[in-house]
Amino acid sequence: MEKILITLNINGQYCEVMVYPNDTLLEVLRDELDLTGSKESCGEGACGSCTVHMDGKPVRSCLTLALEAQGVKITTVEGLANGDDLSDLQQSFIDHGAVQCGFCTPGMLMSADALLKDNPRPDDKTIRKALAGNICRCTGYTKIVEAVAHTGNPKDHCPDCNTRSNEKE
Amino acid sequence: MSDYTIIGKRMPRIDSRAKVMGKAKFTADLKLPGMLVGKIKRSPYAHARIINIDTSKAMALPGVKAVVTGKDTEGIKWGVFAYTRDQQFIQMEKARYIGDEVAGVAAVDEETAIAALDLIKVTYEELPAIFDPMEAMASQTELIHKDFPNNINIHVNIDTGHVDENFKKAHYIREDTFVAPEESYFQAEPYAIVARFDHEDCLEVWMPNGGPHMKSKPLSNAFKIPLHKVKVRKIAIGGAFGGRSEICPVDYICALLAKKTKRPVKIEFTREENTIATRQGHAMITTHKTGVDKDGRVLARETTCYMDGGAYSSTGPIATSVPFLSMEQAYRMESVRYNGYRIYTNKPIRGMIRTHGRGFACGLDTQLDMIADHLGIDPVEIRLRNSRQPGDYTSTKSYVDSCAMDETIHKTVEKSGFKKKWGKLPPFHGIGIGTNSVQTGFPMGIRGGSQSFIKFNEDGEATVMSGVVDNGQGNDNMLVQIAAEELGLLPEDIHLVSADTETTSSDPGSYSQVSTFVGGHAVKIAAQNCREKLFKVASKILKTAPDNLVAKNRLIFVKNDPEKSIPIKKVVRISLLNFTSVNAEGGYWPKVDMKREWVSNPYGQMCEAFSFGTTIVEVKVDPDTGQVEVIEVTAAQDVGYALNPLVLEGQFEGSIAMGGQGGMLTEYHEWKDGRCINTTMLDYKLPLACDMPPKINNIIVESLDPKGPYGAKEAGMSIAMSAAQGYSAAVSNAIGVHMDSFPLTPDKILAAIKGKKQTC
Repeated sequence: MEKILITLNINGQYCEVMVYPNDTLLEVLRDELDLTGSKESCGEGACGSCTVHMDGKPVRSCLTLALEAQGVKITTVEGLANGDDLSDLQQSFIDHGAVQCGFCTPGMLMSADALLKDNPRPDDKTIRKALAGNICRCTGYTKIVEAVAHTGNPKDHCPDCNTRSNEKE
Repeated sequence: MSDYTIIGKRMPRIDSRAKVMGKAKFTADLKLPGMLVGKIKRSPYAHARIINIDTSKAMALPGVKAVVTGKDTEGIKWGVFAYTRDQQFIQMEKARYIGDEVAGVAAVDEETAIAALDLIKVTYEELPAIFDPMEAMASQTELIHKDFPNNINIHVNIDTGHVDENFKKAHYIREDTFVAPEESYFQAEPYAIVARFDHEDCLEVWMPNGGPHMKSKPLSNAFKIPLHKVKVRKIAIGGAFGGRSEICPVDYICALLAKKTKRPVKIEFTREENTIATRQGHAMITTHKTGVDKDGRVLARETTCYMDGGAYSSTGPIATSVPFLSMEQAYRMESVRYNGYRIYTNKPIRGMIRTHGRGFACGLDTQLDMIADHLGIDPVEIRLRNSRQPGDYTSTKSYVDSCAMDETIHKTVEKSGFKKKWGKLPPFHGIGIGTNSVQTGFPMGIRGGSQSFIKFNEDGEATVMSGVVDNGQGNDNMLVQIAAEELGLLPEDIHLVSADTETTSSDPGSYSQVSTFVGGHAVKIAAQNCREKLFKVASKILKTAPDNLVAKNRLIFVKNDPEKSIPIKKVVRISLLNFTSVNAEGGYWPKVDMKREWVSNPYGQMCEAFSFGTTIVEVKVDPDTGQVEVIEVTAAQDVGYALNPLVLEGQFEGSIAMGGQGGMLTEYHEWKDGRCINTTMLDYKLPLACDMPPKINNIIVESLDPKGPYGAKEAGMSIAMSAAQGYSAAVSNAIGVHMDSFPLTPDKILAAIKGKKQTC
């Protein structure tokens, strides 16, 4: 098998990269482009740790060939922040304690980000359904669901929205 | 509330920013120049003698840099205790489970390494394999390990006396048996290791671990190199849950390949390997015989537990004891006899796991409910009549200082509305309660204590060094909170150097729930010592006694006169100009009975503190499908003191998911001839966001442990266990049948409903 030169549009930048036809997008991101934020946890599309966006839609990069990812806009977890400025969703994950070991976090953020772009005010059930393809072993999901629900939609009753001004006394 | 500035606050974790940006580096993310890919050749047989291994064709494959077999290991064996060293790092004589390590390969890329594995020709002589622990105990065929008659790896016998005579005094006695199969950790991050020998012949390794110092010592022993030459490095860790504490054969194999090739080697486990070749939870068959007086108080108990230990000992003596200990801590049982047998089988190795013994704990709780039913007492009352109290000694002679078990029961009962619901819910709608206790540490000998060093930098910021590791539960943040609180700095002023064996002192690791109590405590003492030095200098400038000073918000100021202050940065610089050290150390060693030993002497002070938890669960069961819908979970834990409620709630909720939702409803392994057939995330049913109960009530109970830092003790694990018990009790209540086989899958629930109809 011979390598082929392809061009990928990742996080707003065009990258030329030599790939084997059977390389997955996840392998190319991690091994060739050093974008190791996307994780491999199951390798069979079950856990969602490798979720990235292709034209805004969440896809499993472990089940997507790099060749299929040409001609679309790919966003990875590294592309969510604007430089050092975190997105509201990223900040909400931090403030609500939605991150524990952090291995599922990139995929979880990508699924949640796609949901919020589609539906900025999702209810609890909608969030849980949208995240049903992302497995977290640490959190029990409660704080992740809260973090998504309260992104751009702070709640007065939540001690973790604007967390620094609402510390436990 | 408290006067603390940083402790006790809902502080977002310091490690979150790197994790949400995808910047946090896990082991598989590492790339080193010249790095090779390692792979493991595993046994396809459950029990087989290794006759010959021919590696010549593999070695001849272009791109293969090294192949190692048992011959390269000098037959070194691993085991946590001297009396349990039963596992060679690479098997030389026998393979004892499907997946046992027989060879390792390092090659230039993954494809070549996999191709090389196929070219290693192993000649086996298949031996009769045993998969059932009871058959293994009775087996007349070849023993799995020749020095262990009846394949009994560990026998823990505890007898506190007067058991038979107190059974005679009992008003009511019952004996019931409970079973549960194996479960797995399914950490989000599959196991991985990177190893290299550096220019000074030091072994440098990165891997997810439950304690870096627990990894470095066995590697130093195995390679016969001094401890300072083994550098276990800090790396982000994607979960452990008890499964990554001890050395793993692959740690040694990866380092051996690195040594042989003189190049860095990385081994990444597949999801299947993570399931079968790390550790699993034990399958258990537990019989509880309990005698009570007419009020339901336990007078005597005899418990016998058979645990399927798999092929090797691992943490066997501990794992055989902890299910019993958790229950003897939770409930008073002065006259108790325990016989725990851990039995070798030709299955993957079992170790420590977050929910120790669901069949054990749920069985004991279910039996209490059965007794309560018989006596006409409600489940809450029977627990309150038997619950552990402060000032008690456990049956194995541990003094229990702080204990708010009853408060956790009362608060969950009130919040869940248990009293209003118990006995009044419609058919197939149930509510149940579980209570548990977990020890904060246990005797760990030379590695039982932790030491910390703190150095002030001339800009007024501080570097804190600690051996504590963060597996994802938030230990790094805990250490920073403590240091910032004591030094009078802000969390962002603290630079943490942790979980690195070159720069940090010995520490028990995040093992036995001891990180805050021991490691956090050591940081607290080091910071207090450091602060004392600054106060001495500041007292001369502020013209007051050192004990009249306070450090807060980067300032040192006079108590009751905050206008008189000086920046900490300035004090540091003045100290240095006056040739005065601004560094300090501190250590903490829990006062435990060092003579206590798991098998030979299971009596004496186990640890300095115990945590206690209660979970109440409300469910609906669909009588046509056997599906369980969890409506609400209310969990309370006596954590001593909540250093960070935000982090703590996350531990509660994660525990409910793993111990209750997964552990009691969907998680178990299935087998065919010793082969685990549900090793992947598609086949093993982990709880998803949509499965979890819509409402979880967390109740933090604070008993302020007199020994714990700020009064804190273990937090999180006892909820995983009480949640399992609560789920089981709720389903039993909903269907009107006390369940004795876990987890409670729809087929078992339907069979129980059908069985009940037939007997009605």
